[in-house]
Amino acid sequence: MSDTRARVLRTLRNPKLVNGIGLGLVALVGVWLVVNFVKGPQEFVNVALDGLTRGSIYGVVALGYTLVYGILQLINFAHGDVFSLSGLVASTMLLSVLGLTGSSSNLAVIGGIVITLAITIPLFAVVNATIERVAYRPLRHAPRLTPLITAVGMSFIVSNISLALYGVDFESGSELIPQGAAFSIGEINVTWKLVFALAIITPALVALSWFVGYTRQGKAMRAVSQDTEASAMMGINVNRTISVTFFIAGSLAAVAGLVFLLEYNLRYDTGFELGLIAFTAAVLGGIGNLAGAVLGALLIGFVQSFNEGLTWFAPGGDWTRSIVFGILIAVLVFRPQGLLGEQTPEGA
Amino acid sequence: MSSLASRAKDLRSSPNKWVAPAVILLGLLYPFLEEPLSTLPLIGDFMPSTGTVVVMIAFTMMAVGLNIVVGYCGLLDLGYVAFYAVGAYTAGWLASQHFEQVTFHFGSSVDNDQVGIHVTMWIVLIAAGLLTMLAGIVIGLPTLRLRGDYLAIVTLGFGEIIPQVVRNGDSFGGFNLTNGTFGIAPIDSVGFPVLSSIAFFPENFQTSDNRERWYYLIAFLLLLFTIFCSVRLRDSRLGRAWIAIREDETAAAAMGVPLMKTKTWAYALGAFFGGVAGAYYASFKSGAFPADFYFNISVFLLCMVILGGMGSIWGVTVGGMILAYLNFSGLSTIGSKIQDAGLNFDPTKYQFGIYGIIIVLMMLFRPTGLIPERRHKVEFEEGVHDTPFYDVQTEGSLTDRDRGND
Amino acid sequence: MAVDNLVEVTKLRKEFGGLVATDDVDFVIPRGSIVALIGPNGAGKTTFFNQLTGVYSPTSGSILFDGTEVVHLPPHAITALGVGRTFQNIRLFAQMSAVENVLVGMHCRLQGGIIGSILRTRKVKREEEEARDRARELLTYSGLPRRHDDRAGNLPYGDQRRLEVARALATEPKLLLLDEPTAGMNPQETAEFTAFVRRVRDDKGLTVLLIEHDMKVVMGVSERITVLEYGAKIAEGSPSEIQSDERVIEAYLGRGAAA
Repeated sequence: MSDTRARVLRTLRNPKLVNGIGLGLVALVGVWLVVNFVKGPQEFVNVALDGLTRGSIYGVVALGYTLVYGILQLINFAHGDVFSLSGLVASTMLLSVLGLTGSSSNLAVIGGIVITLAITIPLFAVVNATIERVAYRPLRHAPRLTPLITAVGMSFIVSNISLALYGVDFESGSELIPQGAAFSIGEINVTWKLVFALAIITPALVALSWFVGYTRQGKAMRAVSQDTEASAMMGINVNRTISVTFFIAGSLAAVAGLVFLLEYNLRYDTGFELGLIAFTAAVLGGIGNLAGAVLGALLIGFVQSFNEGLTWFAPGGDWTRSIVFGILIAVLVFRPQGLLGEQTPEGA
Repeated sequence: MSSLASRAKDLRSSPNKWVAPAVILLGLLYPFLEEPLSTLPLIGDFMPSTGTVVVMIAFTMMAVGLNIVVGYCGLLDLGYVAFYAVGAYTAGWLASQHFEQVTFHFGSSVDNDQVGIHVTMWIVLIAAGLLTMLAGIVIGLPTLRLRGDYLAIVTLGFGEIIPQVVRNGDSFGGFNLTNGTFGIAPIDSVGFPVLSSIAFFPENFQTSDNRERWYYLIAFLLLLFTIFCSVRLRDSRLGRAWIAIREDETAAAAMGVPLMKTKTWAYALGAFFGGVAGAYYASFKSGAFPADFYFNISVFLLCMVILGGMGSIWGVTVGGMILAYLNFSGLSTIGSKIQDAGLNFDPTKYQFGIYGIIIVLMMLFRPTGLIPERRHKVEFEEGVHDTPFYDVQTEGSLTDRDRGND
Repeated sequence: MAVDNLVEVTKLRKEFGGLVATDDVDFVIPRGSIVALIGPNGAGKTTFFNQLTGVYSPTSGSILFDGTEVVHLPPHAITALGVGRTFQNIRLFAQMSAVENVLVGMHCRLQGGIIGSILRTRKVKREEEEARDRARELLTYSGLPRRHDDRAGNLPYGDQRRLEVARALATEPKLLLLDEPTAGMNPQETAEFTAFVRRVRDDKGLTVLLIEHDMKVVMGVSERITVLEYGAKIAEGSPSEIQSDERVIEAYLGRGAAA
């Protein structure tokens, strides 16, 4: 009996078969996309651009997850909730403190965004690093699941703080951004939303790549994520490197929070779902791999938008969560190293 | 040996052999003590009603089930709410008017002219347990081979997918499986259709004068049953295998413990009790609704296990009753007291923050829980040989530890 | 259908990316013999062990255990076939007692199921009692006459090593793999252990394969020695043959020492 099962499992894990099934699924999805495109090319592109907007936000959050996971092998559950809180604080800055409204000029809005980021980025960098210092560092040598459980607890604490401060109401900054298209090509609309999103996110990503690729701290981060003990022996201050990683992740969360606030709306529990989606994106791209996080996030952004926006046989928004989790489960079971990750002997 | 005495014998971690029987006795009598106790000064208002305690017991039962997965075998399950849902909906399918296309009665105490499937709740409870167990095995197949943190996320995923399926399940190709957002209600009541010939036993709790007391009694017995099974499993060959896996998976496999099969059993048995508890609670509430099932519940149950002590049955029972009490009664009572005192502060809003704080504080300062399992205490103090399979780099380094040479 | 060679390894190869850890190794272990696997650090001895026990999947090649192909079998299945092992860095279940550790070793030889355990049927009860008695016997046999109910992590180092052996013996192996069993032992303990290995082989009709660095043990107890270097087999033979083999001397001491 176990012999047959062993044979079945071996067949299931046969890389050629797995790749075959994977390609088959991708082909099916490809067909579905093509049919939808043919039925309405311009709507298709618009939906795709919406996916790009979402995907870029997911990318920023996913980077936060993947940076922390790369260096600590910890899924920082609280990351999504830090994202929510930062968005809510940004709303206070923009709408209450700076008093911007829908009728404020574009220049004022841009100025407001810059000022807000100047406050929320350092604030949440510190918040994130504090969480690590207080809740995760003492458990660095505990059994592996302990910090994970702690992260779950931390997630609840942060989201409850958001609830306490902001209640159950949704906050939104979308009125601050001009509605409609910045410019159009035929019926394809490049919305102001997309422009603002990319305008804020692109510099953040550039800054991040520069930091990770070209600074000493960045090199230290890469070293520690490859081999903590060896890095320590080479004189790298591991604790400080980990703190820096959390600073960066917190900053990324703040950027993403602001953009999300401007594009959509959010409240205390938005970060939970978005965090899981972003984590899935990070896994899809290859956990620990920065380019992979961005790639995975764009793909998931497209998946979500296509699911909710297309009309031919689209399951619809009710099923988004299930689809995203389905992707997560499929990736972890069949290709745990994700799209861009390397296959290590343990498979992830 | 009577099972009560043997249970007393099983209490190795209990400080006093008479505590457990005394607690059990008090527990059985609580419905009768409730009224006099609630007239006591100061603490009287805090006494939960019998009905509330039924709910507390249902969730504690789930926590004991989760303890098998997390506490014994060391698998972090963040999606236990899925089992609760499957159990509840099984009760909905087998003991309500939902499937109005058929009329099938079996031992049930409802009127014979009611449409739908109406099986006696005693069988439904078993069916719910088995069906949930099956769900656990199906979920476990792809999931349990994953490393601990990925397992956690994937179980979380299933904990999200199943409620979403339930919410959207009113038309699977036209077939109404779960009645969507409206849920399935009413659900039949528990009863003694056979024993009711004896005047004492009600044919149907719903129609009896003492609905809550009867529900309470059976819930209490179900909880004792769950605890009993849990103790026996802990001390069995399978229980040893679970704990070996928890401590050092690689060594366990090298000693002949089949990892996937053993982990699946932990998951399946944990699921079984979750399903029974879910079905029973659905019967008590007389309904199963998608709004009942959400991620926070999984964390709530996990918090019970952590507060009580992972792997420690009595710890989890006590921790479970405490947290469930707070959730379903305590916090709102405290809240009204605070408001009576003039402050506008509602602690029930901060429930999950409180659970989060409990989790973080416990992990930092007392990871073994209120009543530590005998074995677990040292694992946290010394760390665990947790090198995953195939991990060439850490094979040497993690396990080199200074052992004092005698 | 007794095969002469308990283990037959043919062209075993293990690559980790670009690194060749096991380089087309051929290897046999005659039934009932005591064989030692030696080589300088990094030669791939533990990697070889891990492929024998199913922890690693070889890139190519075959391993026949008592006539059965075991490549791609999961570790517990190989243990059930009759391969027991100890670990280079002791991997006991530290929080369980010594007896419980040994009982885990018996997992695949016991039958006790779920229903039987919950109901504590007479059959399961008896099996558990007998198992516990057997466990204590094994512990005593392995040099642990007392402290059976002590937490394994509390035992002194030498006792922990003996416990690991007792646990491996509990799996009722045909082949016993010992990975640097005398590491950290003083000369007297080492001598005792060497005698113990021979006794175990004789008493229980086992075959023994050990990885060792202590040449006294190697020369003293083994009947055959295989030498690995950089994953490849460079020599094989009796202790005296190996002692005078130039390539072996070169591998351990460097070129020039052989001269």
